[in-house]
Amino acid sequence: MLTKLGLAVACLATALGMAACGSDDTVGGAREGDVQVAESGPVEGEFTVSSWPGYIDPGKDGSVAEFEERTGVSVKYIEDVNSNVTFFGKLRPLLDQGKSGDRDLIVVTDWMAARMHDLGYLQEFNPDDIQTALDNLAPQFESEGAYDPDHKFSIPWQGGMTGIWVNTSEADEITSINDLFDPKYKGRVTMLDEVRDTVPLVMRADGVDMESATKEDWLAAIDRIGKAADSGQIRRFTGNDYTEDLTSGNAVASIGWSGDAYLIGRDDVEWRRPVEGCNLWFDTMAIPVGAPNTAAALEFINFAYEPKVQADIAEFVTYVTPVEGVKEILGKRDPKLAKDPLIFPDAEFTADCVPFSEPPGDAADVAEVEEAYQEVISG
Amino acid sequence: MNLRRRLIPYGLLGPGGIWLILFFLLPMYFMGEMALRSGSLTEGYNLTWEWANFPDSLDGRGEQIARTALYSGAATVLALLIAYPLAYAIAVRASPRWRLLLLFSVIAPFFTTYLIRTIGWKTILADSSPIVDVLQFLALIPDDGRVLATSGAVIAGLTYNFLPFMILPIYASLERLDLSLLEAAKDLYASSRQAFLKVTLPLSAPGIVAGVLLTFIPAFGDYINAEILGGTNQAMIGNKIQSLYLEESNYPEAAALSFLMMAAVLIAVLLYIRLAGTEAFMGSEEERG
Repeated sequence: MLTKLGLAVACLATALGMAACGSDDTVGGAREGDVQVAESGPVEGEFTVSSWPGYIDPGKDGSVAEFEERTGVSVKYIEDVNSNVTFFGKLRPLLDQGKSGDRDLIVVTDWMAARMHDLGYLQEFNPDDIQTALDNLAPQFESEGAYDPDHKFSIPWQGGMTGIWVNTSEADEITSINDLFDPKYKGRVTMLDEVRDTVPLVMRADGVDMESATKEDWLAAIDRIGKAADSGQIRRFTGNDYTEDLTSGNAVASIGWSGDAYLIGRDDVEWRRPVEGCNLWFDTMAIPVGAPNTAAALEFINFAYEPKVQADIAEFVTYVTPVEGVKEILGKRDPKLAKDPLIFPDAEFTADCVPFSEPPGDAADVAEVEEAYQEVISG
Repeated sequence: MNLRRRLIPYGLLGPGGIWLILFFLLPMYFMGEMALRSGSLTEGYNLTWEWANFPDSLDGRGEQIARTALYSGAATVLALLIAYPLAYAIAVRASPRWRLLLLFSVIAPFFTTYLIRTIGWKTILADSSPIVDVLQFLALIPDDGRVLATSGAVIAGLTYNFLPFMILPIYASLERLDLSLLEAAKDLYASSRQAFLKVTLPLSAPGIVAGVLLTFIPAFGDYINAEILGGTNQAMIGNKIQSLYLEESNYPEAAALSFLMMAAVLIAVLLYIRLAGTEAFMGSEEERG
């Protein structure tokens, strides 16, 4: 008994000692050491994907099951990304230690992938390992890939547009972001907690040109949003869970993403491109440091870029597909799908839409804008 | 023999002491150290004895602090008002068979996790739910009014979630109530009201004090209820800490704010115990024997 106690005390002393010695160490910051290249190899074992809700058909006849059947890999597909910042915040302490919580592949928006790569949290691709994906990538996604033009560490999963989901039986007249500030809809409007989604839409509703927007323009829009939040105009700031408020009827209009019809599950709620235009963005697949099964992750990336597989995914999620040749396949299945502007938006449809904008200035300016928005949305 | 006898109390203290050091003191040390760091996420946070983190963490958060005190205070009072009659009925009035069933009903919600129960309320209180319709019909809320995303919903959620922590200690103290004391009071011409105020209430005071502490402290630090049942104007201090930590990755300020919150709760609790008197808290000398 006494020896056990002594042992415990000794352990504790060591722990305390380590803590004391460790206090000079930096917490956070970029990870030390060389960037790893994701290793390919035999595809087997278990494979874990972290993604957003409703981003693939996880059912028995879905794409996940098809991947399992074809490769013999056992897939754990988790939908634990509700917004980029919270997912990053949750994962960061692990990534800092070179672990990913057993995740092999994560799906985050391109700017977040770039941020994670800068911090040394992502593994890079050997182009040969994702050849199918590189071959089949649709050209318009190549030109938009400003954060990672050569696909060194990320490759598009789906693209999409940020606009307004409108409950047509209760608020059919909403066509502009400005309508969301109409007192008529007080407390029945939600906005996204992602600064890059919500703030540029509000700025453009105010007539700001995104090309020449200054930090002050961003802060002014954040101020307008903050006032609307204080007055109770905006009910909640949400991640992907905005769909729940639309489903239950708590919200009559929400800023949201173009492909979430499946999650909302109501015929009287439709996605609209605001008259001022929409945001264009794409989420990417990336392999975090510490991923236990990189071979399966690389195989999954190629799998998702096979036109037939991608056609299944596009049909299910109705986001903008980044893969060439899908339109033809879907056209054969159902001509209506090939004409769906949410899956295949033409230049006319997106004429007033702009790619995701980054707040202007250096890292400190970006942080200032992000913090100002965070203060507003956290009440 | 003598030595062994002297060591026994330490041995008995051992497990609890180690627990406290490992899971209380050590984390506190790390949190304190974190609160004194400065830097940014990309450069990392270094220990620079940045005492300014403490005042900075309060800057512009007066509203949330006041709200936190109001919500947790209101929830505690409401829980007490609901719990006392209930605990009294279970402990004093109910037959032994009913007592067991009623006690079980109090504990039953714990079979489902806290988070799921709170999310459940979100469905129950949705704008188009029958409950909201009834409240509108009774004119308890305006016709275009709602329950979710209001202060009322958050206070109700806190009250609901922490109610068993109020009921159980009060029940425990009332259950030991010697009913012959009430008879004696009646024999001495006390009215029912007097008997309650002079006998029952003082004897159950330790239960009330314990219940209030068990309710107020977790309610003060709670962020789940405000997150799920509240809207844009219901954030509590716990939500701010969560947002600083998870969304802004501003660990030093999050740690500083956590420390200040703990200090505030500690001061409030000490004042309260002082006010209630240590006797009510610990039981009187004679009672402990």
